[in-house]
Amino acid sequence: MANPYLVVEHLTKVYERGQVLALRDLSFAVEKGEFLVVIGLSGSGKSTLLRCINRLIEPTRGRIWLDGVDLTRLSQARMRRVRRRIGMIFQQFNLVDRSTAIGNVLTGRLGYLPGWRALLGWFPKEDREKALANLERVGLRDKAYVRVDQLSGGQRQRVGIARALMQEPEILLADEPVSALDPATSHSIMQYLEQMNRQDGATVIASLHFLSLARRYGTRIIALKDGQLVFDGLPTAIDNAKFKEIYGEDAEEVEVR
Amino acid sequence: MGYPEGYLSERPPWTTGAGIQDALARRAIAARRYLGVFLLDAGALAILWILVSYVYAWYVLGTTAYTLVPWWAFAVGVVEGAAAWGSFGLSLGQRLLGRDLGPVKGREASSGARVWYLLLWHVLVLPGVGFLFDPPLHERLTGLGLRPRGTQGVAPAPWYRTSAGLFVAALLAVTCAAAVGVTVSWTALVRLFRQAGETVDFWRALVSPDTSILLDAGRDMIITVFMAVLSTLFAVVVAVPLSFLAARNLMRGPLGRPVYTVLRGAMSIIRSIEPIIWAIIFLVWVTALRSAFAGILALWVHSIADLVKLYAERLEAIDQGPIEAITATGAGRLSVLRYAIIPQIVNPYISFTLYRWDINIRMATVVGLVGGGGIGQRLINYIWGVQYRQAGTVMILIVILVWAIDYLSARLRAKLA
Repeated sequence: MANPYLVVEHLTKVYERGQVLALRDLSFAVEKGEFLVVIGLSGSGKSTLLRCINRLIEPTRGRIWLDGVDLTRLSQARMRRVRRRIGMIFQQFNLVDRSTAIGNVLTGRLGYLPGWRALLGWFPKEDREKALANLERVGLRDKAYVRVDQLSGGQRQRVGIARALMQEPEILLADEPVSALDPATSHSIMQYLEQMNRQDGATVIASLHFLSLARRYGTRIIALKDGQLVFDGLPTAIDNAKFKEIYGEDAEEVEVR
Repeated sequence: MGYPEGYLSERPPWTTGAGIQDALARRAIAARRYLGVFLLDAGALAILWILVSYVYAWYVLGTTAYTLVPWWAFAVGVVEGAAAWGSFGLSLGQRLLGRDLGPVKGREASSGARVWYLLLWHVLVLPGVGFLFDPPLHERLTGLGLRPRGTQGVAPAPWYRTSAGLFVAALLAVTCAAAVGVTVSWTALVRLFRQAGETVDFWRALVSPDTSILLDAGRDMIITVFMAVLSTLFAVVVAVPLSFLAARNLMRGPLGRPVYTVLRGAMSIIRSIEPIIWAIIFLVWVTALRSAFAGILALWVHSIADLVKLYAERLEAIDQGPIEAITATGAGRLSVLRYAIIPQIVNPYISFTLYRWDINIRMATVVGLVGGGGIGQRLINYIWGVQYRQAGTVMILIVILVWAIDYLSARLRAKLA
């Protein structure tokens, strides 16, 4: 029997010497090609979960298997090689403000560049062409040489997507990619993620605030509450009772159209 | 039925390594909190006591005295005072650490409980015995403990109703009284006004320039500017690499933290010695009668310490987002430094450097006064030689130079922001 692509086993994260339990004994599996959406309130552990997968945050206990490799046991150097295959985009975009769009996009190739070439900024010609192609793909070819602090929120997130595209990722982690954006822009960003999932075959794990977006784009949804898994299933399986369980009794569902 | 979840299936927390660590950490946190409040209170009381004694001795007894009582009585008084203050009022330490003493849970505290707390304080808190327990033993016995202030839903009292507020007011008043007593004498005040007329010749000389020295003075001014440029440049070369070792957020772990602490400590010691003192040290060291070189060394040493602090503080304030993003692409440490950190600091670093250069121009003048070369040395020579006209000319030149550099550096820095 083939193992699932990504397996998370008993994942636990404790912050500040036992003061805060961010993740409690979380277990689930993801198949290749899924679009998994993680929902939950702010502080429910969504960001921590995504960062544990590429070990930007070190898990306290538990295992994460990717393609049969236990990521939690890897040395820093070997983890770096694995990270090249894991793209990530962020709520606050996390671009280098003083750099141009293409400068930011090129950093997606840093994992493949020898150290001394990276220090000198000597990216191969193919990388530069690829960066322009990816900016073209997200509709920002004409902004390639503009400093990213001159761009709007949606444009900045598209630069973030182009940076992730440079890695040709097998997995894309998206940490609330649209929380800082307006509804119309949100859909355009989500459509890029959908495209990466369907056309490029990347497995996407995205955390989202809005259930309507999760239903629209996810092939499967998991829900976190206080760091625990409270739902794992198809988007259609979340009814009103389940919704109240995840978001609390007083919650009302808000649509994003 | 009725058993907690995980009953008999989980190991008790205190049998695991992480559990033991947590338990120790909680005790350490409690001990540090109580000790912090006590040390702040005792220190503040000691300062107030010394100042009051000094003022009383100065104005009433006409002598100099710092404690008025034997040192052991002073020590006991301070410790007991801090204990009582912390038990019955909002002490300064509690105020500064955002805490107050109140019931850990349940009803308001009776004054009986507070007396009980003060007594237990001597056997449980001061010797630290109470902290072997979690929660601390004295909290369990009295029901009182340090809790976060302002979380009880009660409006905080205005400053003049709290003992901490009154204490600070008293401290300020006594400090002023002591300071006046130490530094100002009646005869000096009288002289300041009565002898003002006698300095007229001096002022007149200062505003009637002697243009014959302009060429020589100009040459010395160029030396002064060069001193500032050289000392700043060499300071940057040393300070940039050091700043990374002095940034708290980059120096984590058992190896990094001691390096950070030692470096920051050394820099603040060096910075606390003024350039003019450094100039005297280097003049003795390089044994030269008139040496801009000693001046450059003095400014260099002080600039390093200053720039390391400014640079490191900027590094500590950088946005962690890009670091996270670049790390996530699989980039190595050097690449993260080059692509996530350096772009964020280049402009601030240049800006700080310009600012320091601007300071160094002024400092180069001061350093010259003790023989460190440049325009300052010329100025002090004229003053000692009672050549006030020439001294005045030099002073005007210095004002123009400093103003121009100030303006230039401000404009450049505004461009960088």
